[in-house]
Amino acid sequence: MNQKRSNTLFISEVAVFTALAYLLDFVAGILSLKIWPQGGSISIAMVPIFLMAYRWGIKGGLLTGFLLGLLQFILGFAQIYTIVQGIIDYFIAFTVVGFAGIFASQVRNAIDEQKKGKWVAYVLIGAFLGSALRYLCHVVSGIVFFGEYAPKGQPVAVYSLLYNGTFMLPSFIISAIIIILVMSAMPKKMVVQKMR
Amino acid sequence: MMEKMIFGRYVPADSTVHKMDPRSKLLIIFLFVCIIFLANNWITYALIGVYTFYMLGMSRIPVRFLYGGLKPVLWLVLFTLILQLLFTKEGNLLVEWGPIKIYEEGVRQGVFISLRFFFLILMTSLLTLTTSPIEITDGLETLLNPLKKIHFPVHEMALMMSISLRFIPTLMQETDKIMKAQMARGVEFSSGPFKERIKAVIPLLIPLFVSSFKRAEELAVAMEARGYRGGEGRTKYRQLSWKAADTLQLVVLAILTILLFLLRA
Repeated sequence: MNQKRSNTLFISEVAVFTALAYLLDFVAGILSLKIWPQGGSISIAMVPIFLMAYRWGIKGGLLTGFLLGLLQFILGFAQIYTIVQGIIDYFIAFTVVGFAGIFASQVRNAIDEQKKGKWVAYVLIGAFLGSALRYLCHVVSGIVFFGEYAPKGQPVAVYSLLYNGTFMLPSFIISAIIIILVMSAMPKKMVVQKMR
Repeated sequence: MMEKMIFGRYVPADSTVHKMDPRSKLLIIFLFVCIIFLANNWITYALIGVYTFYMLGMSRIPVRFLYGGLKPVLWLVLFTLILQLLFTKEGNLLVEWGPIKIYEEGVRQGVFISLRFFFLILMTSLLTLTTSPIEITDGLETLLNPLKKIHFPVHEMALMMSISLRFIPTLMQETDKIMKAQMARGVEFSSGPFKERIKAVIPLLIPLFVSSFKRAEELAVAMEARGYRGGEGRTKYRQLSWKAADTLQLVVLAILTILLFLLRA
């Protein structure tokens, strides 16, 4: 019974937070935090993914990320230029953000022990790992994309590193600040209560 | 804004393409993205072009919607064209103008690659312009069904997708409400220095996250109260139906593929 209960909660939470992640991209637009119209933006869409990753572990994070990519594709806002680039940029890039959940149990234990410094550190490491993996995906997709469309022999790797870096670094910093503030406001939520 | 959130870029209309089964549309787009790479000379590119405009014409999507979606990528198409023109150094020299040298192969490559790019974008946007998000979800669920064998949670995924789509407008309203509440308290969201704007986001996000947790929990309780027990044996409210038009369009695509094989250089 317990198992089933938390499975339904898992489904509904991941779904609602995917919607929220998608929405936050739009909110970022309203707040005019969006500066990269041609793909990539300083967005806080990673925050709900991190949240699910710490609350439900890697599985929750990966699933939320994957669904966010799928949602962008289904709603027609994904910029897909080639199959490989589309798959990397939307499905893999957001999914790997969920690997932040590797540190889920450490974060939860630290919250249980009420050691704020400790969980903040783990949250930061997790967020960094997730963002770094996503950055890597965008860089690779940039190289793939230009490999297909640009003439051979251009230093595309450097260009891709720089272009993607200009939005991924601020995204990481802002997302990290926000996730810590949100989690400090409701640390109890990070631990899935045992249902009886 | 609201409408954009609910429908994505979907444009409702009464056309053959709109009425097609989402499964066949997904298949056609997927195959199209694969076979477009078969084109490598003028006649094959012309064929692809004819096919693309044939599909666009059938979809009865007004040109301005297409243009709206294409605008951000048009410069990228142009950019690739210019890159190709400037950096491909094969074939006969056509134009020499100071340091700029344009070669025959550069023109050929540039035009082909930008055309491919252009057709790809047109066709992939056609899918989301003519198919509602929920239809695409249903279509994907049936197409991905074989993945159940490797324990990929296809059913759960489709369910989550539908819930997400359903909750986007709800959460949008929530965001709007909280924003107005905070604005009434004097928070400025879209002006002031960057740092201030980030600070203003926090009193918006925290209530939003808290209420999302609450909504998710209520939903889970409601699902269980109605006896949700996972994917086995669930029936569907929306039924997909494969019609003659779907088969016909797949046949057209198959003919295109054969022609491409025969005519490519």
